[in-house]
Amino acid sequence: MCDSCGCASPSDHSHTKTVDVHESLFAANENIAKSNREHFEAMGAVAINLISSPGSGKTTLLEHTIEHLREEFRIGVIEGDIETERDAERIRAKGVPVVQLTTGGACHLDATMTHKGFHQLQKEPGGDKLDILFIENVGNLVCPTSFDLGEHHRIVLVSVPEGPDKPAKYPKAFTSSDTFLITKTDLLPYFDFPVEEAKAEALRLNPKIKVLDFSSKTGEKFDEWLDFLRNLATEVKRQTA
Amino acid sequence: MHEISLVQNLFHQLADLAKQNKMSKVISVTMQIGPLSGVVIDSFQFGFDILSKDDDLIRGAQLIINTTAVTYRCSKCGATQQSSGVKPDGCSACDEQFLFAEGGDELILQKVEME
Ligand SMILES: Nc1nc2c(ncn2[C@@H]2O[C@H](COP(=O)(O)OP(=O)(O)OP(=O)(O)O)[C@@H](O)[C@H]2O)c(=O)[nH]1
Ligand SMILES: [Mg+2]
Ligand SMILES: [Zn+2]
Ligand SMILES: [Zn+2]
Repeated sequence: MCDSCGCASPSDHSHTKTVDVHESLFAANENIAKSNREHFEAMGAVAINLISSPGSGKTTLLEHTIEHLREEFRIGVIEGDIETERDAERIRAKGVPVVQLTTGGACHLDATMTHKGFHQLQKEPGGDKLDILFIENVGNLVCPTSFDLGEHHRIVLVSVPEGPDKPAKYPKAFTSSDTFLITKTDLLPYFDFPVEEAKAEALRLNPKIKVLDFSSKTGEKFDEWLDFLRNLATEVKRQTA
Repeated sequence: MHEISLVQNLFHQLADLAKQNKMSKVISVTMQIGPLSGVVIDSFQFGFDILSKDDDLIRGAQLIINTTAVTYRCSKCGATQQSSGVKPDGCSACDEQFLFAEGGDELILQKVEME
């Protein structure tokens, strides 16, 4: 007797079967992302996912933001990096709770890694009660865009030396983000970066995206970023309360 | 190359499906992949080929990929146009530049043929 269907003879018919599945491969990640979001909201934290190429100034932005807003908000950081602890050390030096996730080669964070990082962060001094949780993704403009971490707000950064063609070349980073930051504007005199064109290109891809430009180094227009963040924190808190 | 980790997820799912249906071999896998899914089809195919070599259940299986289109809707007049990926420069009806993308971000396991 045939094992798979119990028929008398295994030789006279084939036991193939077609199963209709129709399920997204992102579904598993999205379910965990949803539960992450509930974790963040239970703590009252607004979670922000930062995405950019390597070296666009994510960690520098966080260092300066923490210096300015430390007294107003309880800030925590999850750092994603392929190998090193360096970024976490820079944040730790600013006196806020931080965990470093080393992805061991993976080019993006996913919801599972973030979930683990979040619970690790809760065990750090001051990590159990946060207003703003920053998640610095692995430096990469492609892979991180496909993975929801459970964040409330996604930010893509492009620095002036990288050139203005990033929106055109990496559209998903812009269509999936809520805000676009043009960083290192102190370098505008040395690079050909038409800020208005880059803004227009991003808006063409995503008419809802909010665009800011500033320099973390000189502080030029940094206040606009800080105000934006204050509003965002209040707004998300109001919506999720 | 997050395609590799996505293929790994797919293989976990195929293993579960084979178990549920008491099947021992996957013959073909049909996927739907959109141009805005963030998945490079060649990399996905490559990952599938490499990883299936080491997987008794999936070795030799055929990967069938159906691509989908993106619908771009004009923010001004609402006219729509389809594209296989490249964003049109403007609305075909009124030339407006702001177009909203709809769909095209699918990465869906549609069906699996097993024996
Ligand atoms: N001139 C200038 N340099 C900056 C600015 N912000 C960051 N930098 C420099 O850019 C380099 C990279 O900055 P990081 O903050 O480490 O960049 P990152 O995005 O965190 O980099 P990864 O984590 O490796 O992806 C450092 O040398 C910073 O000093 C800025 O506003 N102006
Ligand atoms: Mg960094
Ligand atoms: Zn990746
Ligand atoms: Zn139109």
